[in-house]
Amino acid sequence: MNDMTPIDRKMSTMQDVKISAKGVQVYYGDTHAIKDVDVDIADKTVTAFIGPSGCGKSTFLRCLNRMNDTIDVARVMGDIRIDGEDIYDAKVDPVQLRAKVGMVFQKPNPFPKSIYDNVAYGPKIHGLARNKAELDDIVEKSLRKAALWDEAKDRLQAPGTGLSGGQQQRLCIARAIATAPEVLLMDEPCSALDPIATAQVEELIDELRQSFSVVIVTHSMQQAARVSQKTAFFHLGNLVEYDDTDKIFTNPQDPRTESYISGRIG
Amino acid sequence: MTDATSDLPSGKPVTTAHASLLTESPKMKKRNAAEARFKMYGIFAITLGLAFLIFLTFSILRNGIPAFTQTVVNVEFTLTQEQFDEAESKMLKTAAYTEIFVNNITEQFQERGLDVEFDGGTVERLLGKVGGDLRSFYRDNPSQIGQPVDFQLSAASRVERYLQGKLTRDMVVDGRFLEAADLDVVDAMVAAGIIGTAWDWNFITGTDTGVDNPGGAGIGASVIGSFFMMVVVLLLSLPIGVAASIYLEEFAPKNRFTDLIEVNISNLAAVPSIVFGILGLAVFIQFAHLPQSAPLVGGLVLTLMTLPTIVISTRASLKSVPPSIRDAALGVGASKMQSVFHHVLPLAMPGILTGTIIGLAQALGETAPLLLIGMVGYVAREYPDGIASGLLDPNSAMPAQIYTWAARSDEAFFEKAWGGIIILLIFLLTMNIIAIILRRRFERRW
Repeated sequence: MNDMTPIDRKMSTMQDVKISAKGVQVYYGDTHAIKDVDVDIADKTVTAFIGPSGCGKSTFLRCLNRMNDTIDVARVMGDIRIDGEDIYDAKVDPVQLRAKVGMVFQKPNPFPKSIYDNVAYGPKIHGLARNKAELDDIVEKSLRKAALWDEAKDRLQAPGTGLSGGQQQRLCIARAIATAPEVLLMDEPCSALDPIATAQVEELIDELRQSFSVVIVTHSMQQAARVSQKTAFFHLGNLVEYDDTDKIFTNPQDPRTESYISGRIG
Repeated sequence: MTDATSDLPSGKPVTTAHASLLTESPKMKKRNAAEARFKMYGIFAITLGLAFLIFLTFSILRNGIPAFTQTVVNVEFTLTQEQFDEAESKMLKTAAYTEIFVNNITEQFQERGLDVEFDGGTVERLLGKVGGDLRSFYRDNPSQIGQPVDFQLSAASRVERYLQGKLTRDMVVDGRFLEAADLDVVDAMVAAGIIGTAWDWNFITGTDTGVDNPGGAGIGASVIGSFFMMVVVLLLSLPIGVAASIYLEEFAPKNRFTDLIEVNISNLAAVPSIVFGILGLAVFIQFAHLPQSAPLVGGLVLTLMTLPTIVISTRASLKSVPPSIRDAALGVGASKMQSVFHHVLPLAMPGILTGTIIGLAQALGETAPLLLIGMVGYVAREYPDGIASGLLDPNSAMPAQIYTWAARSDEAFFEKAWGGIIILLIFLLTMNIIAIILRRRFERRW
């Protein structure tokens, strides 16, 4: 982590709470996957969820845009609000919610279509562009934001699946930000990437912080330390500790957090 | 092992006694032998399969090709105006024409020094109703009177078999169809060089005939019957099957009721086709009063039979689309339906098409259900004269026609049955090629 550009962490002193979760419980059939989690996620901040495998961090992330709805056996209870609105309210259409809360997945999963169509798909179905020129503009801006424009501008019609792993993941990020979301959820976005591609994506995450609230799940504590301002440590479905990243890594309050970051558990 | 380690002074645990990489250990030998044996089984199985395929293709072609040719007698014939007037003035007009024809052939024989006596009866047994054919030709084309005209007259199937050596003189029993003396005339025709074989378009384009005329039987009408059935099957089973699969796979809740449906679809795929036939008879003909032997009913019955195949293969190909694509679509805010129709379905398309073509190919070759709705045994003597008539008028279908021919007592029909199989296989091949082309077009790289 030392060879990475040190990130200038200007903490946005929790002035805006973007997402607030209270008493969240998730069951997969009989398994109690998330036990009573309370968390407030700030706007324009990178929040990292860390913890050992199977601790529920991905499950919790998927609650935030209701992706768990697609799993039949999953049941979510508790109260999750984005900008004060309960996203599990019966009146909320998860489709509309997901346009507002974009998601990037663990494995790069571009559509087997051209690079252009990958990015343009979201704006098209949400009607964000009135004509081809506007759509072109959105595609270019999104690819620029995802730091892929220079590599992709000459081959927009080439299949997105023909890109390298790191490029594919940046394409997925471009696709997620093309719908102009307010929150970006990232589920281990770098686990399938090599160190160089990881560095590029991390740099990108830091830039995205200017415009969105970013929530990232990661296996790598170094990554959490590098990119995030706030860190939440999950263990066995419990939120053990949630604080400023500096504090979690230098002065953890809970013995379990300390064991984990020092490599004794997990 | 312990023996090997015991004499080592250091007492270090050595696990293997002198294992050189250059010699094969007994265990390795066994493993390699097992692998070699397995490969041999595979090669044997494939060779056996190929041998059967070659044998099958060879026997189909050998037996079926003659169905596409016919034995013909080529006669150059000139009818003068006087002969025409004279024949027309007689009481038995066709008999008069036959006599003129007999005289003409006899002359040709005498030119070549052949001396064979024969009469109108022989001509009729060998070449059919030549007198009538000649008369209608000249009545329709009076301008040809006085001109030399080349006639190609198809010979009776017995003549053909005699020439092929399948019928010998001692097998001939004098009767209505052939007399031993007639064969002298055939020999003379061979010597005169006026008998030969010609490509028989009638087999491909013609209609079926009665049991006494194998030579004139064609498969054309039943090809049309099969075609209309396939259109019905495709138009019904593809949309219904794909819609049902998408609903079951993507939208339906997973509960006992859908489990039950799932089990029953699998069971339906294994139901003998004749059961569908009797269902079709009960529902479409006896209850709904649709016409018997109609390709529409055949198509409906085959649709029932094809649906489970299409549903099963469509669901399998929908399942094989990686969930990451669904996640990706839902993640950018596509609705369930958009994710299915924009992303999942296009990726499942090659599999769906393959399943559909397999289903259609099965339906095309199916005979048993057609038996019960009256398409087998129906003698398709006429072409339908339009789309409605093609769907609703009685017709036969290719496999039904082949079955009917094979069941007839006249051996000459067997040849037709083999020929029909060739046509059926050509149809199947064409369908498969279309499927492959479509699949190539729909297939996308991951």
